Amino acid sequence: MTRNDPIKHFFIWPALIIVLLISIFPLVYSLTTSFMSMRLVPPMPARFVGFGNYADLLSNPRFWHVAGTTTLIAIVSVGLQYVIGLSVALALNSRVPGEGIFRVGFLLPMLVAPVAVALVARQILNPTMGPLNEFMTLFGFPNLPFLTRTSWALGSIIVVEVWQWTPFVILMLLAGLQTLPDDVYEAAALENATPWQQFRDITFPMLLPISAAVVFIRLIESYKIMDTVFVMTGGGPGVSTETLTLFAYQEGFKKFNLGYTSALSFLFLIFITVIGLVYLAVLKPYLEKHK
Amino acid sequence: MSVRTLKGKRRWLALGGCLLWLAFTLFPLYWVAITSFKTPLAVVGGPTYLPFVDFEPTLTAWNELVSGARGAFYNTFVASLIVSLSAAVLATGIGAMAAYALVRFTFRFRLLSALIFVVVAFGGFLLGQYALGFGQGISLIYSFIAALALAVISSRFRLPGPELGNNDIVFWFVSQRMFPPIVAAFALYLMYTEVGKLGFKLVDSYIGLTFAYIAFSLPIVVWLMRDFFEALPIEVEEAAMVDNVPSWRIFFGIVLPMSKPGLIATFMITLAFVWNEFLFALFLTSSKWQTLPILVAGQNSQRGDEWWSISAAALVAIIPMMIMAGILSRLMRSGLLLGAIK
Repeated sequence: MTRNDPIKHFFIWPALIIVLLISIFPLVYSLTTSFMSMRLVPPMPARFVGFGNYADLLSNPRFWHVAGTTTLIAIVSVGLQYVIGLSVALALNSRVPGEGIFRVGFLLPMLVAPVAVALVARQILNPTMGPLNEFMTLFGFPNLPFLTRTSWALGSIIVVEVWQWTPFVILMLLAGLQTLPDDVYEAAALENATPWQQFRDITFPMLLPISAAVVFIRLIESYKIMDTVFVMTGGGPGVSTETLTLFAYQEGFKKFNLGYTSALSFLFLIFITVIGLVYLAVLKPYLEKHK
Repeated sequence: MSVRTLKGKRRWLALGGCLLWLAFTLFPLYWVAITSFKTPLAVVGGPTYLPFVDFEPTLTAWNELVSGARGAFYNTFVASLIVSLSAAVLATGIGAMAAYALVRFTFRFRLLSALIFVVVAFGGFLLGQYALGFGQGISLIYSFIAALALAVISSRFRLPGPELGNNDIVFWFVSQRMFPPIVAAFALYLMYTEVGKLGFKLVDSYIGLTFAYIAFSLPIVVWLMRDFFEALPIEVEEAAMVDNVPSWRIFFGIVLPMSKPGLIATFMITLAFVWNEFLFALFLTSSKWQTLPILVAGQNSQRGDEWWSISAAALVAIIPMMIMAGILSRLMRSGLLLGAIK
């Protein structure tokens, strides 16, 4: 139940004004510039080009390549995060021995700066002095080009993403598991349901709303991946691991191609919104069935 | 003992899996810790794992870091600390107030008022910049004030069109996180330089960076705190209202103390977010208010890959967050984060 009191304005306006100020300007500014041709280096006067920037981008194979790379990284890493996160959360929820230590350990990666994570990853993946290559040669592998061959570099970025963000999935799913009622499980135990049946028919369906939310959040955040790629491969080799944000950064801060960058950002926003809407539309029937 | 507790072989299987994951989680952190104590020669010579056993630890990297031989480390650390603490405190405070308002008070406005705001802000900016020839800064300030005033005034009248309420405001807050941060960072940089020309220094300044961080933490604070407030029993507040206690005293005297765990958790999540933030810091700071992630990333390119010093710098950025992980996990155990996910 909500009430009405003039003091409510005093409560909400500080937050509202700050967000309006900081978010409306970027929106207005970049939407305007996205319809212009505008360069700072070399300085060029702004010129109205309509949808020119958008058309340029959509016909640029590099844009599609970058969008594809980002999608690949996002989908594979979020998928892995969910599977691992759910397994670990289930184990923790059922009181694995040493649960307390695991909890602190599991939380750590999420709180480490992505830049630092990427730097550590580069050390570990280093071909000559990294421990991973030494470990792999023990098993008879040759020296692996973790960051200099496209498929390995993509794999490495995905592993780093999984390392960093699975904790978030664990955290959320664990909290969700703890809210599930005990009596359903007691009933199932009376009927001699196997643990697998209990998982399939009780835990997973009941966890579905939270799972959907967690995957949604992670998917959107994954699309913005930047720090890790920036430090680990810089988008290389060539442009094979370049992501959308990194592409925007290159165009905006290296070439100062403002109109192009703004158009890119808006395509990015449209892209994310479409993916979000499709995701929600696909999941809706399942979510409603288990409500 | 709960029915869901694992028994027998499965229990050991789960333990094995968890140990494997823990090793994967902790190894990189262990590696960065030992590398920061190695000599350059020991790093280049191939991987070594145990201090005093297969390499002799040294403090060279740490001495260089603290003495400032690798960039103004001390200043950066203090700047990072000041900015992230104040941004987290302010964002939690302002966000908690907004979240409370959205949970307990009724907000109604017409879609048309919101549209007026967007159109006037947009049109005013374009008009000021391209027709009247004002600078970006001036036209932004004028159009923003005009848009806000018109939107507020228009909401007093009975306008046609659909009515929006609390949930729409929450959705609007949360949707701010969907915006690609690169756009915001870049445009904000330009806005700050424009305002700088008017005499307020915002690029590489305390106010500019903190303000940006508050704005970008608010969506998450509103989202988390709203759930904490919703979980609070309303009876206490109703009893206070019967006694004619004013709303602001109900909030500061009753609600805030009751939601202390939620506030702490939200504060820490915000702090971690600001402490680790890279993109905004990269755009909005240059020297005086540079933050740690920028310094850490800078170690990378300065003189080739000097892993020992990179490790030491990275570790400084990591350690405060490790301490926080410990505190957060204790909060979690008491089920305090449960409210956050409903």
